[in-house]
Amino acid sequence: MTLTQEKTLAAQVRPDFPILHQQVNGKPLVYLDNAATSQKPLVVLDALRDYYERDNANVHRGVHTLSSRATDAYEGARDKIAKFVNAASRQEIVFTRNASEAINLVAYAWGSTLKQGDEIILSVMEHHSNLIPWQMVAQRTGAVLKFVEPNANEEFNLEQYKALISNKTRLVSILHVSNTLGYINPVAEITAIAHHYGARVLVDACQSVPHMPVDVQAMDCDWLVASGHKMCGPTGVGFLYGKLDLLRSMPPFLGGGEMIADVFLDHATYADLPHKFEAGTPAIGEAIALGAAVDYLSSLGMDKIHAYEEQLTAYLFQQLQQIPELRIYGPRPTLEGKGRAALAAFTAGEVHPHDLSTILDEAGVAIRAGHHCTQPLHRYLKVQSTARASLYFYNTQAEIDVFIAALREAVDFFASIFG
Amino acid sequence: MSLDNLRNLYQQVILEHYKKPRNRGKTSPVHRHQRGHNPSCGDTIDLTLQLDEAGNHIQDVKFEGEGCAIAMSSADLMADAMRGKSVKEALEMIQRFQAMMKGEAEFPKELRKLNVMQGVAQFPVRIKCATLTWHTLKAALELAHSETPEYVSNES
Repeated sequence: MTLTQEKTLAAQVRPDFPILHQQVNGKPLVYLDNAATSQKPLVVLDALRDYYERDNANVHRGVHTLSSRATDAYEGARDKIAKFVNAASRQEIVFTRNASEAINLVAYAWGSTLKQGDEIILSVMEHHSNLIPWQMVAQRTGAVLKFVEPNANEEFNLEQYKALISNKTRLVSILHVSNTLGYINPVAEITAIAHHYGARVLVDACQSVPHMPVDVQAMDCDWLVASGHKMCGPTGVGFLYGKLDLLRSMPPFLGGGEMIADVFLDHATYADLPHKFEAGTPAIGEAIALGAAVDYLSSLGMDKIHAYEEQLTAYLFQQLQQIPELRIYGPRPTLEGKGRAALAAFTAGEVHPHDLSTILDEAGVAIRAGHHCTQPLHRYLKVQSTARASLYFYNTQAEIDVFIAALREAVDFFASIFG
Repeated sequence: MSLDNLRNLYQQVILEHYKKPRNRGKTSPVHRHQRGHNPSCGDTIDLTLQLDEAGNHIQDVKFEGEGCAIAMSSADLMADAMRGKSVKEALEMIQRFQAMMKGEAEFPKELRKLNVMQGVAQFPVRIKCATLTWHTLKAALELAHSETPEYVSNES
């Protein structure tokens, strides 16, 4: 390396992630399961520890110093997230346990306004968390679910979507980036079409917010959900973004402390946003640590993270395509790695994904095998399960090389036995 | 990569039964039918049994379904081992298999082929793959038709 050569983003950040520097089965860990959950940098672990060591107290209640510190830090995290996704107001950010809870919140509070015959448009590629809550709404209200299928390139079929949508459509609930196909949905376009018909739009941004700049106002979506643990934050905290007027019009989801204004024995009035949707003591330390994660990601720059991941995507696909036994799902990236997320779900000839995952684990490589919570998509693709390698900005080309070598060895291992 | 470890898991017997299963299909007639699945990974097993007239002996076992090398070879090996066994013997073998996967017991000499699954016990996350078919057989033998659930799951 020459002195003038700039360090890659991964080289710059890897010291921040203690967990990456360990051996698994005698081999250096290669963590390629980031679509399931990301690793946490020291600043996030420190934020969690600092909170419990210095500031731990309940929020929005006490007058004492610790309570005031905890409240400031918790509300400060909300400000950070609002800025991170460019919400118009901090009141538009509601802390939830995760993205699933955020979707359930909307499905329960807003979904109850739906009536028999109202239509909800989803896609076949949705994660179960953006499917089951709407199945439950449909059962409760008589609303009808309609599904956009992938097209021949295994992308969202925009033409089919345009044919499905009508004045009966009340909601389009759609993922931004597919955790299986890696496809990046044109959400701004999908939203504009939905709004033309008066339908609301919820965007499941679990696989986009950690990896690229996301601007809710540019998207013009009505709701957006994300999970903290996939974006360098801790588990147990996620968030819901919702347009202010819309959130105001929705009844509360869960009842309890924190979400009230005035309580009598037989009735209560509710707190203003966002507290109306945050019943009970929230995950204070986790929310504060998520704020630290957002600071960390912002300091690196989401555009830089995305650009680096595109480089990784280009390299990953270039290498995967050297193994003829593989069937990779979703659209191909451009030579520059554009047009899809830095992940690849695939099947490998004779080798079942679970067997593959075990063999790779022996080489220190962590990948996911299974249906990735997209069982209907797998059924649609006529495959029971797939293996998936999913990357983040701390992964390197050298790690991709280790993964590819182990993958090739696994394919050869089975091929040698079957001849 | 530690190939020795892998050879312990993927022993030749396992790989042969995976590649060329002898007991794939459906028994004729079907006296018992039970589905099993592993919800965490999506593996499925469709087990059919043919019993004698009294319903006391297993005459044939067949399986269909999709899964990894461990799950499929375990089903094929089990089907071989069950042919001709009484229901009581079969239930004892199920218990013995489960004990073996916990490292507690082995099969006697005449059933030693089943012992190849011991290698799986060293990979705790894969034990469920091996036990799915045995779990399904237990349900098929114990539950009367009317109370048979659509699926049994080995999540417990």
